Amino acid sequence: MKNENIFEVKGVEYTYPGKVAALSGISFDVKKGDRIALIGANGSGKSTLLAMLDGLIYPDKGSVAAFGRQLTEAAFNDGDFTKIFRSSVGFVFQNPEIQLFCPTVREDIAFGPLCLGMNSEEAGKLAEATAEKLGIKDLLERQPHRLSIGEKKKAAIAAVLALDPEVLLLDEPTAGLDPLTTRHIVEILSMASGEGKTIITATHDLHIVEEIADIAYVLGKDKKIAAYGPAGEILGNRRLLDENNLAHVHIHSHGHEKPHIHPHIHGKNK
Amino acid sequence: MPSAGYLPRERKNKLKKNNFIEKTILSFTAFVREAVFSEEIAARRGFLQEFNAGIKAFSFFSVIICALFLRNEQLLIALYALCLALTAASNINTVFFLKRTLLFIPFFTFLVVLPSISALFTPGDALWPAQICGINLSITRQGIDGAVLIMTRVTVSVSFVILLSLTTRHFELLKALKGFGIPAIFVMTAGMCYRYIFLLAELIERTFLAVKSRTGGLIKAAHGRKITAWNMAMLWRRSYTLNENVYAAMLSRGFSGEPVALNSKGAGDYIRLAVFITVSVLFLAADFLLRGHGA
Repeated sequence: MKNENIFEVKGVEYTYPGKVAALSGISFDVKKGDRIALIGANGSGKSTLLAMLDGLIYPDKGSVAAFGRQLTEAAFNDGDFTKIFRSSVGFVFQNPEIQLFCPTVREDIAFGPLCLGMNSEEAGKLAEATAEKLGIKDLLERQPHRLSIGEKKKAAIAAVLALDPEVLLLDEPTAGLDPLTTRHIVEILSMASGEGKTIITATHDLHIVEEIADIAYVLGKDKKIAAYGPAGEILGNRRLLDENNLAHVHIHSHGHEKPHIHPHIHGKNK
Repeated sequence: MPSAGYLPRERKNKLKKNNFIEKTILSFTAFVREAVFSEEIAARRGFLQEFNAGIKAFSFFSVIICALFLRNEQLLIALYALCLALTAASNINTVFFLKRTLLFIPFFTFLVVLPSISALFTPGDALWPAQICGINLSITRQGIDGAVLIMTRVTVSVSFVILLSLTTRHFELLKALKGFGIPAIFVMTAGMCYRYIFLLAELIERTFLAVKSRTGGLIKAAHGRKITAWNMAMLWRRSYTLNENVYAAMLSRGFSGEPVALNSKGAGDYIRLAVFITVSVLFLAADFLLRGHGA
């Protein structure tokens, strides 16, 4: 933990079985307290990169280091490192169905702390406290399959926040959510950021990017970093967004104008 | 879509054939709805719902063992009355419970024990003499007594099992298995299977509806088999991917292969267990005394 950089990603390449390239020559550093957005069209490699930062997959070429140590299979054979890493890095998956694998929300929130050695009574109390903090205490005894998508997302975030991780990795946290739930998720992320957590969010909901990130990385169709910089600047670069399928055109009208077509992004008043 | 009543006979027959798949899928979703309904009862506030699942399982186990050894029908009926009292105290509609326990269980048990009421299997005092081809098939008093005893025992035992499953959330019941020496990893895996069976059931239902929306419900049998086989393969593939992703999600939260689970509420509530065991012993003692008195 002496290293200032939390993550150091160098020349990472990754190919899925069937020679489907997912990442190609990705390099960047993440410092403590950074708020980063990974933006890119579907299939640009955002989820793959997050899984790699969480030590769930390993690069074919290049390296990923966390807290000064290379993330390799050998590193995760070291129980002490695994415990420190897993309690320091929390990953909210895109699909909450896979993250909520226990019979009740309470069990799900307590699962991480129990795995990391907390006793049942403490883990139970922590689950209650975390649920209360996120305003989902009424969901504790509910079964995950009976929740709405928004409730599932909140429960999945609670399950990760219960570990009180230093780093939060979030994969499309607001995809498919209604505006109110999206706002609630953004508020939860702002709260986590206020606590000094490092937050890396993969999203293509551009209207939340400036609220949840200071720096934005654009992943291009060629699976490389197409651009990076302050989130406001990246979102203001219309050409960059067009080239990377992040802005789109459709027929619409403003006020009493005739319907017309021009490229734009939703939620941004440019 | 027109109802089957407006269709020509040939099309109706096709619809009937297709209904086999529809019925299977609807039966499966009905099972899911039933499970959800049971969970709703188990989540209510009530006397038995407050019990720790493990303690409750052991308590009911002692009562069922007691029922198996009782020979006095009045005592068995008293035990059933206790079951009904517990049902009422647990905020469960008594009529609903009676329908569940008294409609089919005694009837099917009667079918099973039917041969035993004849002199062929239970010789004794003939109540209704009958002889076919030289075989004595008279119905005997001893046969009837034995059949009634077995039917009462089965009804009481199954009623307690139903009451246990209605008042206990299914995953809590699974956790209670640990108390019976079932390995924790099996219990954890079974809990996850239980959670995901609902997701897969939804997937099956939606896939079926998607197929139906494109075919209008009329599919040739051979085509229907192809669609079903294809869906089975897709479901297997999806469940395999789900399995991999869930494992990644578990690893991400620090899972190292050691099964973990929260303790159930009310763990260590041995007073209630002692009360149930005492009641069971008292029933057995009363049965013993009544038999002695009768002898």
